[in-house]
Amino acid sequence: MASANDSKWQKDAADQNFDYMFKLLIIGNSSVGKTSFLFRYADDSFTSAFVSTVGIDFKVKTVFRQDKRVKLQIWDTAGQERYRTITTAYYRGAMGFILMYDVTNEESFNAVMDWCTQIKTYSWDNAQVVLVGNKCDLEDERVVSTERGKQLADQLGLEFFETSAKENINVKAVFERLVDIICDKMSESLDSDPTLINSQTKGTRLTENANTQQGGCQC
Amino acid sequence: MPGHVPNNKISSLEPDGLQDADVFEITDFTTATDWERFIARLEEVLHEWNLINHAPLPPSPKGELSSDKWKEKTDTVNFANFMFDITYKYLNRDDIDLHSNDQRSSPEEEDDGDSEDQLPTVMADLMSLDNDFPAKAHCLCRWYGLQEFVVIAPSNQSDPILSESRTKILLSSVSIALHNAGCAVPIFVQVQQFWRQMFTGTCVLSGSAIDFDVIHLKSIPSPYNHLAGLLDVFKAKIATHVVPRPTVTVAVRFTYILTDWVNSPWPQEPPDLSSPMEDEIGCSSFKSLPFGACEDPVSELQLACTWPSLSEDMIVENQNYSDLDPMHAPQWSVRIIMTEDPNCLLGKYLTEFLRCCNRKETTNELLWNVLSNQDSSDQTGDIGQALSRLTDPKLAHQLPAINQTGDIGQALSRLTDPKLAYQLPAISNVVYTANNQTGDIGQALSRLTDPKLAYQLPAISSVVNTASSRLALKPGQAPISQEALNEIVFYVFPDAQDKFKSSNDDDGSKETTELDKKYKVILDELPKQLKSAPVDSLLHRLAVCLNVVYMNHGGMKGVAQLWQEFVLEMRYRWENKHQIIGVEGGAPNLGACLLYQKLQMLNCCIERKIKREQIYKGYTGESLETPDSDSGCLATDKQLANHNKMSKSDSLTTSFSKENLTCNSDNSEQQNRDAKHNCDSLTEELPAKIVHLDSSSEDEEFFECDEESMDEDSSRSNTKQLTHIDSVDTTSSSEAPFHDSITHKPEGRQCRHGDLLLLHVDEPLYIPLTQEPSPMTEDMLEEHAEVLAKLGTSSEGAQLRARMQSACLVSDMESFKAANPGCVLEDFVRWYSPRDWIVDDDDVIDDNVDDNKDDLKQIKGYLSSRMQIPGNVWVEAWNGARPVPARRQKRLFDDTKEAEKVLHFLASMKPGDVIRNLLSVLVHSAIITIVENEDSDIPKLTEMVQQLVTMASKVTRTPHQDIKRYEDLIRRIAFVETLIARARSLKDKFTTDLIDRPDCFDEMQKFVCDMLHYPEVSVRGGPSGPAGSVIHKLFVAAQKELYMISDSDSSSNTEHQSTVPDFPRPSAREYILRTTAPRPAPYSKTLPHKMYCSLMEGHEFRLAGAFSSDSVFQ
Repeated sequence: MASANDSKWQKDAADQNFDYMFKLLIIGNSSVGKTSFLFRYADDSFTSAFVSTVGIDFKVKTVFRQDKRVKLQIWDTAGQERYRTITTAYYRGAMGFILMYDVTNEESFNAVMDWCTQIKTYSWDNAQVVLVGNKCDLEDERVVSTERGKQLADQLGLEFFETSAKENINVKAVFERLVDIICDKMSESLDSDPTLINSQTKGTRLTENANTQQGGCQC
Repeated sequence: MPGHVPNNKISSLEPDGLQDADVFEITDFTTATDWERFIARLEEVLHEWNLINHAPLPPSPKGELSSDKWKEKTDTVNFANFMFDITYKYLNRDDIDLHSNDQRSSPEEEDDGDSEDQLPTVMADLMSLDNDFPAKAHCLCRWYGLQEFVVIAPSNQSDPILSESRTKILLSSVSIALHNAGCAVPIFVQVQQFWRQMFTGTCVLSGSAIDFDVIHLKSIPSPYNHLAGLLDVFKAKIATHVVPRPTVTVAVRFTYILTDWVNSPWPQEPPDLSSPMEDEIGCSSFKSLPFGACEDPVSELQLACTWPSLSEDMIVENQNYSDLDPMHAPQWSVRIIMTEDPNCLLGKYLTEFLRCCNRKETTNELLWNVLSNQDSSDQTGDIGQALSRLTDPKLAHQLPAINQTGDIGQALSRLTDPKLAYQLPAISNVVYTANNQTGDIGQALSRLTDPKLAYQLPAISSVVNTASSRLALKPGQAPISQEALNEIVFYVFPDAQDKFKSSNDDDGSKETTELDKKYKVILDELPKQLKSAPVDSLLHRLAVCLNVVYMNHGGMKGVAQLWQEFVLEMRYRWENKHQIIGVEGGAPNLGACLLYQKLQMLNCCIERKIKREQIYKGYTGESLETPDSDSGCLATDKQLANHNKMSKSDSLTTSFSKENLTCNSDNSEQQNRDAKHNCDSLTEELPAKIVHLDSSSEDEEFFECDEESMDEDSSRSNTKQLTHIDSVDTTSSSEAPFHDSITHKPEGRQCRHGDLLLLHVDEPLYIPLTQEPSPMTEDMLEEHAEVLAKLGTSSEGAQLRARMQSACLVSDMESFKAANPGCVLEDFVRWYSPRDWIVDDDDVIDDNVDDNKDDLKQIKGYLSSRMQIPGNVWVEAWNGARPVPARRQKRLFDDTKEAEKVLHFLASMKPGDVIRNLLSVLVHSAIITIVENEDSDIPKLTEMVQQLVTMASKVTRTPHQDIKRYEDLIRRIAFVETLIARARSLKDKFTTDLIDRPDCFDEMQKFVCDMLHYPEVSVRGGPSGPAGSVIHKLFVAAQKELYMISDSDSSSNTEHQSTVPDFPRPSAREYILRTTAPRPAPYSKTLPHKMYCSLMEGHEFRLAGAFSSDSVFQ
């Protein structure tokens, strides 16, 4: 599916072949399965070993949400420390984040807090984040319990999923949820915009002045 | 609605009724004439709007009529070819939901007895006492208290209905339509000139009808200049003969106007409008945006004294006597009339400035006619000619212009001597001063040739600026005067004035501490919320200066001139390696505006350039050996001194080896003591072990790490280390699959990576010094992302992307190879991506047992499967990487190129672009200004400021700066400013010293606050309340003032001859008379009648009457 889009990608954007475009970012420690997760979602394929991502990479998928075509541009990032400065630069334009750890790797779970701080520092405050514990198929090797993941997610105020890119568990759900939250947030801010405009006429005297002056005491 | 709804229902069941309905739905042989068509169309509209068979509504709750819940529907109707607008205005009753409405109407149909009690909406409205004198409403609503009505008015206002017969035709048409449709909503026809607000109307109810009419006169007929006369009119109109005569209830409102604010004349402190224009230029004028209104934003106070509901017998007002003393009125309310446009400065400045952001002129186009007269040949860049002019004393005064036009001078000097290029501005300055003061061009030229002199000028950059512009423009014609320009430059670049004085910073900090606490959070959050630039940064200063310059110093030309100065200064700073002050260091902050990022970028470039040159020049002098020599350099005393400071700093090391760092800080004390010793001994014993400086990164860090590694080394046995090194050459050659690096000496080491040893060589694993990734501004990033995205989502695309981004990886690999001779990819991965090195469980070995060398060697593991994929980017890059230390690699970040790109970006901006790019910063400044000035404790204002910030954050963050949204934003800023100005003005007027009791202070504050929020505020306690007494005092003071001035006039005013009255004559008197009486015959049904009277002294006399009549028992 991917190769067909190559040349068209840019054109699509111009063609307005979608109603919204969301830029999403997958972040998390190295080798927690970010690339696999993305491939599972975008291509519905799984390979046990993808080349470790250098810098950033991306995939595109269009979904339908509330009768709208939403084009997801999902950026996959390198998890290595050394790439932090490069990848954080891309945070600013992202509307949603998938923060991933590996349930079989304690260290990647411990790093979630740091990643969260990074998001706070480098993204706009309205970016939405979903916490994802990947590789939940490897029950034998699990070191981070679902409860701990949930607890941390609550503490950070994030939505939480445990997923498996290999067994295709919850992969779609994560993206759908994230898209939903972003949509909600968007309509929220759209809703709040008119109130802003309204309040301009409501609580203020400037507009009222005009009325009082023409319709005031003269009649 | 008694009987109305059921009646209609019945009629619709009858054959006649059916026929009626069919007529207008099907057609049309009855609609032959224009008149009939008009009626049919009216009915159609009424049906469309669903105004038929309404269940009656209760009167609207108190105060609702002046709310903003009014809605309207509009359509057009033609009478022949005369077009009318028909408008249905109604109050959106959200207090009653529609479902209950339906429910209510159904039981009525079942039980007629119940619905008898319910008055039709119109009548209920007429008689409701709750809605007399609404604060703000349509005049029909004001007169009759209606919550819904339809108005028919000529579409063309200049073609009013003047003749009586036309009015009658319209009214009867309306009447027929209402009858046919069974609609109980009153319809009004606007007659006479629009400004007269004459409406005549009718309402058809079942069994009755109401006529509405208006009398409008210019002056008040004396018999009707009081309540008694008006009552006579009312009674005569009802003309009822029943006995006893029904009593009339009366509601009265007198309005008094106060325009003389004796206690608080405006302005209290005249805003500095003119001072920047005049010769003496106040320092403050460039430093902050102006704030406040030029005119008093509060123009008058209207006091309305209301007697809400009296029986006609209770009060007397006639020619000779009046009970209506305002001091005895039970209700007082106040409205404040605001000045339409009080000329608020901040809003004005911003609005005017914004208007220019779409201007397309370039700097040169704007300044061409003030540039000194130059031949066109110079502009085309004929350097030869320029040169000859340079040497020609007569033409020397034109030299600056050469500079100006496309920097030919600079280009020229660069051509002749690149090294001296950066000195040129200074030189030109010297030329100028010499020329101007002594006129001795020869001297100037001699100075020109003496570069040392140019060097020695103290504050080169600032002088250069002022000088170059002064030179460039015709004397006296520059948009910004020399004096002003100097001041601006010193303000924008405080370091130009005096590098050691930082008085400006003190000012800023003082201001912030004085700020109100309630805004502290907002202010603290502001830089994060808005995409602008840090507070008090260079851009803030520049944005404010540009705005002030635009308003007071030559408009766009001034902007162009100042911008050109700015760009010149930027170039100067780059070329002379002066850091730009007022711009944060480090990589561009992507949360700031683009322009700020560009300046940060330029600063990065300058920083790198300084470092680069230090390494090649400065350090050779200090260190014993040149950094280029492979044997490394010595740690000097200075470096050791640095060590202490740096050892705890949050360096890059943290991320790579936390273990190391903790160890470092633990040992730091001991280290300090031993450092020098170690160093000395090491340099003696192990020259090859010492890492030398890297050109491209921060030196201090490396020194720390050097010592750290040395320390570690020394904590082991030095001799052991020596043997290690000896063994490298011999042993590793046989084992390592990597051939080219075996024999090279290690270079560019940063520190050891924990206790790790290389896999194939018995040698610790060193973290290399690496190149830092290049900083990027958002536009670069975007471009980069776009390029990456263009490669598409195929696997080939992904590979290409990986390769494109592998420059950094390759560079790191090369550094690693250089630092770790004999290393393999596995070693690299262990440092770079540790999770891709999988340790065999059987061989997990306690790394800390470092005295057992054999164990360390036995660590076994393998690369993760993804690293083993044949031909993957990592393997490829590793195979291609040569052992080159970072400082000898190709620069990942070309500071020269990037700086030139930034400078080009700045120089190619048109003044309009500059304005557009600075809007966010300016908005930021404006919000700070607002917050600094908002000292009223009005909750609403706090809320509005908060809203403003929210709005601003949205607007400034939009990727493509939308001017429309900025317009809205600035309108809002202006609005908040106006509100603050009003609040201030009101606070001054209702000053605390007028309050009798101190315990009323809070109430007064609330009162002032309410006056800002609501069109009309009732005065608690009326005349005897605290606010009432203040208002009373204000009127008394104004009256005294008035009568002292016009003593002679008072003789004409017989009533007030003896004493000065507390209040002026009411400027408006309103009376509402109501009664219920049978009409037209004594045996008719008893129906409500209402008359509204408005008497305005010298203005108008208006009676608006609604009289019902029984249409059955006439």
